[in-house]
Amino acid sequence: MRNNNHSSVPTFRRAFLSPLGRVREGLPFLSLLGRAREGLLFLPLFLLLFLASCSSVDCPLNNTVYANYKLMGRVTTLTDPLTIWTNRNDGNDTILINQQVNTDSFTLPVSYARDRDTLFFRTNTTLDTVTIDKTNIPHFESVDCGMNYFHEVKGIHYTRNAIDSITIQNRDITYDTSKKHFYVYFKEYRY
Amino acid sequence: MIHPRSISMYILRSIAISLLVLLVSTAYAQKETVAKHPQQPRHLSKQEQEAMRRKQIDDSIPFFRGVQVKVDAIGLVQKAVSDYGQYEAGVRVNLKDKYFPVVEFGLGKADHREVTTAISYHTSAPYAKIGMDFNIMKNKHDIYRTYVGARLAATSFKYDVDNPAIIDPVYGGNYPVHQQGVKAKCSWMEALAGIDAKIYGPIHLGWSVRYYRRLSHDDGPLGNVWYVPGFGKQASTRIGGTFDIIVEL
Repeated sequence: MRNNNHSSVPTFRRAFLSPLGRVREGLPFLSLLGRAREGLLFLPLFLLLFLASCSSVDCPLNNTVYANYKLMGRVTTLTDPLTIWTNRNDGNDTILINQQVNTDSFTLPVSYARDRDTLFFRTNTTLDTVTIDKTNIPHFESVDCGMNYFHEVKGIHYTRNAIDSITIQNRDITYDTSKKHFYVYFKEYRY
Repeated sequence: MIHPRSISMYILRSIAISLLVLLVSTAYAQKETVAKHPQQPRHLSKQEQEAMRRKQIDDSIPFFRGVQVKVDAIGLVQKAVSDYGQYEAGVRVNLKDKYFPVVEFGLGKADHREVTTAISYHTSAPYAKIGMDFNIMKNKHDIYRTYVGARLAATSFKYDVDNPAIIDPVYGGNYPVHQQGVKAKCSWMEALAGIDAKIYGPIHLGWSVRYYRRLSHDDGPLGNVWYVPGFGKQASTRIGGTFDIIVEL
């Protein structure tokens, strides 16, 4: 049995305002609102419209993908001038670090799409070649932010003239600048 | 030797005592029954009378009260005026005008190209929600209802991302991304409050305000998704709503 309290067909206004009055029976605090109930009824709709009109762009503050190197072992600060360069895709060289002294750490860019990057390290008269094998993973943040490539380091090879050894500390190269990816151990005596 | 008269007196006394004990115990039991169920009508307060009246109505209402079929109009408008949105419909079962188990199904679509970054995003996938609404009106058998409820929702979808130009500034070269059919999943919960009102015959209109909370997600190998069917643009928490056109069967 349906208990219809309204004999006539309800109007739109009555249909949408009456429920609030009935809720008020169960929730006495609503009675305090008195005539403001019409505003209260439409408040959620205004809130929805307000929220729908808002949009935010959540791009990361750091959008560069760099490999972080840190000097470890006996030589934690390299007093010799350090120059690092690499080969570009067009066949030319490009210098990444030029004659930097008192180096204790440095960051180097990673190629977007190569499987192997080759880096040349010069300290005084000695030259070392470092090759890094990696994968390239496209990274999508949002349509509002430019895409980029993240990398996973698969291996590293190097000559041992001034460099004693290089170890991989973190294989994933991403937007995270706090992680050190490689520890570089220079020889104490470099001639 | 015992005299036969004494024997008969003894038997009579025993019978009389047994009857007396039986009488007393029956009378005590009747007294307890009367105490439990007083015959005199007690004066009921107005609230008690109203509670009794509602209880009588409740008792006369059958368990299964019908089915509602509903369509969300906000998603339709959203899809019409922007490049993402969803088509959503649901079925809600009315149990004693109090409990409303509900299932909702939808198709979420996004086809967006951002002018500033030239990145295109496309997806089209179904989603499903299951939950329960509770009618919190004091008079639950009225033609108006006010609900609070909850939903559990999930979708598994594929999306396409296209970025025509990603130029390597150091090593040189352009490496565009054309990723097709990247798989992703998302599940979330919704807490809602809403109303529905009878307009004419079986036609009802109603709306609900919903709080969305993401429970779990797998964004796939690209790291992120931009639009999740049924959930909306990327965010972990958000507020949305529905405007329901309802047919009560």
